Amino acid sequence: MTIHPLRPSDPPALRPGQERPDTTTAYDSTWAEQPDASAPEGLDRLMGQDGKIYVVLAVVLLIWIGVVALLYRTDRQIDELERRVDRSISEDE
Amino acid sequence: MPSHVQTPGLVSRRLYRGVRGAVVVVLTGILVAGLLGDIPQLDILEQSARNLYFHVPMWFALMAATIVSAYHSAQYLRHGDRLRDLRAREAARLGLIFGGLGIVTGMVWARFTWYEGTGVWWNFDPKQSMAAVLLLIYGGYFVLRDAIDAPRTRGRIAAVYNLFAVVTMPFLLYILPRQMPSLHPGGEGSPAFSQTDLAPAMRWVFYPSVLAFLGLCWLLYTQRVRLAWLREVLRRKALGQPPDGRGLDRRAS
Repeated sequence: MTIHPLRPSDPPALRPGQERPDTTTAYDSTWAEQPDASAPEGLDRLMGQDGKIYVVLAVVLLIWIGVVALLYRTDRQIDELERRVDRSISEDE
Repeated sequence: MPSHVQTPGLVSRRLYRGVRGAVVVVLTGILVAGLLGDIPQLDILEQSARNLYFHVPMWFALMAATIVSAYHSAQYLRHGDRLRDLRAREAARLGLIFGGLGIVTGMVWARFTWYEGTGVWWNFDPKQSMAAVLLLIYGGYFVLRDAIDAPRTRGRIAAVYNLFAVVTMPFLLYILPRQMPSLHPGGEGSPAFSQTDLAPAMRWVFYPSVLAFLGLCWLLYTQRVRLAWLREVLRRKALGQPPDGRGLDRRAS
């Protein structure tokens, strides 16, 4: 796996004559070293607040929406099934 | 024939829709407030104190489900109404599901807080062990049901067993664990009426959460009862038995 450096100033590949880095830290792309010039904006700023807890919240809410959709769909299917069974039994009588 | 003759009165549609809407709204709020709201800063617990909003309501749901189940079992013994037997069965099933979720969530919670770094998933906390015993007792209810083929015999024997099972619930969940050292609150007196155990900011999330999970349990229970009743109606139809009348199991003599 290649870890791509995040800093735009980093060279994309080894220049001629440059030694191949032999320590793991040479591959570090620490976010802390990023220039602070561009503050995150819009959605990134919102989601990045408070240790990115909002990302967790978004994930949990998506799961919850799925569960609620399932609840409503199952209700509709039971309604439909009850109607059908009622109809078939009324016809028999 | 009017429609809805076979499936009347299992649940009031208006009540069901109302509870469903309330549960969706309140639980969504619980998820937001539970993750973002203020909590006291505590050692060991840290952010995991938020688990209170999700772990504890599982046990409230189990407790309610076992009581509902026992109530319908008693009614089944009195009137022999097959629907009561189905209600008792589905309530017990929901109890097992929520109890299982309570056990698993408690295991994860304890593993990474009080037992952090020890690799201990099962710590034999009295409440944990006795909750497991309770779940085994309710598991036995389903094993017993599956072992009997004749519906009336099954209904009666399972109902009697269920009445014995519910009697163990308060002892296993509340009385005995509170006599022993435990991670769980309650050893110093009832936490339910304590004014100091729970920070005020957490009460506004915790109490609605308990209600909302009780509501969710009831919604799932109602779905399962309706399905079980449909299956029962179709079974009778296939057997050529009279489709109406829940009193099929009424004492014949």
